[in-house]
Amino acid sequence: MAKRVGIVGAAVTPFRSSWKEKTYYELAQMATREAVKDAQIAIQDVDAAFYGIYNDIFERTAIPEHAIHGLCGMQNKFGIRITTGGATGAYTMSAAHAYLAAGRYKTALVLGVEKATDCFDFSSMSATPEVIKSIGWSGDSFFEQAIGWSASDSYAEVVLGYKDEHPNDLKPEITAAISAQLSQQVKGNKYAQRQFDQVTAEEVLNSRLVAYPFRELEICVYSEGAAALILAEEETAEAISRNSGQPVVWITGLGESNEHSFAGKNQKNMSRIMSDYYASHRAYEMAGIKDPTQSIDLIELHDAFVHQLEISMAEFDLVPLGGADALIEEGLMTPGGKYLVNPCGGLIYCGHAVGASNVMSAWSARNELIKRKLKTALVHGTGSTVAQYTACLIFEHE
Amino acid sequence: MTRKREKLIPAKFIPDVGSTVETIEGHDYLIANDTMYTFYRRSRGEFSAFFLALRDEKKLLGCRCTACGLVRVPPFLTHCPECNFAPTELIEVEQVGVMNSTPPITYFATALFQDMAPYGRGRVIFRGADTAMSVNLYTTTGILVPGLINKGTEVKLVFRDKRNGDVKDVFCVPTSELTQEQVSKKGLLESEIDWESPVEPKIPKATNKDATTFEKAFKGIKSIIEEMNSNERARKDIAGWKRSVLVKTRGGQFALMIDDGDIRVEKKRVRSPDFVMVSENPKTLLDGLAYKGAITDSVINKKLWISKNMEFNTIFKLDRMARSVARSRKVGAA
Repeated sequence: MAKRVGIVGAAVTPFRSSWKEKTYYELAQMATREAVKDAQIAIQDVDAAFYGIYNDIFERTAIPEHAIHGLCGMQNKFGIRITTGGATGAYTMSAAHAYLAAGRYKTALVLGVEKATDCFDFSSMSATPEVIKSIGWSGDSFFEQAIGWSASDSYAEVVLGYKDEHPNDLKPEITAAISAQLSQQVKGNKYAQRQFDQVTAEEVLNSRLVAYPFRELEICVYSEGAAALILAEEETAEAISRNSGQPVVWITGLGESNEHSFAGKNQKNMSRIMSDYYASHRAYEMAGIKDPTQSIDLIELHDAFVHQLEISMAEFDLVPLGGADALIEEGLMTPGGKYLVNPCGGLIYCGHAVGASNVMSAWSARNELIKRKLKTALVHGTGSTVAQYTACLIFEHE
Repeated sequence: MTRKREKLIPAKFIPDVGSTVETIEGHDYLIANDTMYTFYRRSRGEFSAFFLALRDEKKLLGCRCTACGLVRVPPFLTHCPECNFAPTELIEVEQVGVMNSTPPITYFATALFQDMAPYGRGRVIFRGADTAMSVNLYTTTGILVPGLINKGTEVKLVFRDKRNGDVKDVFCVPTSELTQEQVSKKGLLESEIDWESPVEPKIPKATNKDATTFEKAFKGIKSIIEEMNSNERARKDIAGWKRSVLVKTRGGQFALMIDDGDIRVEKKRVRSPDFVMVSENPKTLLDGLAYKGAITDSVINKKLWISKNMEFNTIFKLDRMARSVARSRKVGAA
């Protein structure tokens, strides 16, 4: 029988557009130091490490985790790196959960870290074109990289595919309103890259097109930073909790799905994010959730793009497909509404330090469940081309 | 005819060896120019027949499953995973197809594709195929704008005159922009199509009223540019950037000079500008600089014309400066 697994410690470094003061070695250790401190255990009490690092090019080295294993105090212990594009952090939590639930280890460090903006384009004298170029190496290398595949244009394909089927959903004024709301929510997150960047819906609508249909203020920003969790199996988690005085937040459901990379008959349906659908529903089933609209209080959603946030909410069955604008029009996610979505500001305002992002979302969900005395949260990670990969987790606070 | 020798990495992308020191809160940090590079002699393996057919025969190949009959284009695999790995066979498909979904258009491209932006990339189901192939999309009428190509739009495969045996050897244009003969032709070349070349828009002669409007707008532009010049965040947006721009409007012309963090505007003629901006109404640029609508969008919507697509880069920087000033104003007001 699988063991219950819970979160007993969590920490993040500040997410910043650039951390010139620190390498990814130090960012990784910063988050680890704070996570064990939060759990009130010593690093020697941690049995295994699971590293979420997306892109070798960002860290400028292959197997980038090798250097941080010993520096984080994990020498001679189990260590494995997971890399699944934007969903890296969520998949890393999923892997750690599996080892603990199977009884292989009692405690685990989940550590996400990324240092993206050391990449620099000397022809435009700015970082972003080189950062997105580095991500561009993630596309299919025979048929798509050479014709300009990028993370933005591949997610835009899905959004436009959805709009082909649901032309009256994802209205510009709604995506702008969601972005504006997230910019307000981020004010309470002192670790966020854009804590003080509050924008109005009008400013969002006036911001420039980056890749049609995405505007600059509807897109996540690339960040540098790290996030860490301490997970433990049931008995150990309860013992740590008694010592720290902090409740355990249990991981009661997990689901994952990777779609086909290419579109057409029997392949990717461009109007859906089926990976979001399958992953969330598998997680609901494991957690025993029959009606997510009644069970889920809080969603920490990987909002690479506002439009995709709306589609993901529909794939989670929290709003109808084709009716995702209800999030604003019916007040489902406005302050005091049915769902609390991305109280940390999401990846658009807190920032997207790719391998660390979903771990940051988990840190936020765990803290908000405890702070607001809520019961159930859904944590989500999406990644790869055309929103191909998804991992979802259900957190419960008793 | 011998082809000009090309390098795998164009020289403009290669920085010099060097380093700088940045001081943050009293501490010095060393920042070094660096790179990771790897070269390949990479086999196209089972895709060789597909790429050779594009390059040498101007043919489009797919693969058909011998069990279920599904035709995949491009021919991604030699055995069908849905039919217990039954073998597939190569077949030729037609060079006209329809868009599987509405394609995105990239305006802010990665470092590799800035000279190609704005560009469309979408998926086409060619006649005779069941799956979609990723291609670049162009219009013969200038800059690709939203609405020109949508889900279901019929498109024609066009071959580059010079082909290397890769996916860039082909692209698509809407069949509605071609003659029936061109649509029917197998192996249509890009040189066989009439491409509308960018022509600088003519500005009507200015009236006294236009001159007054220009003076008012110029005053506003000058004031914002001065604010940008004294704004640390905005100056950072154009660090290392150098451009001279001739701006032509109905009521008058002026120069916009960008020089590594400095920006200034002057009523003077520029002998050899890096590029020309033309906007009948000077207020279009004023609004953009004042963060009332993006300058990028004005170019896309044809309210503002630029002589070189590559200079979208400069336009992005001006948009970013406008946002930087707006952000600083907010912080100041808070």
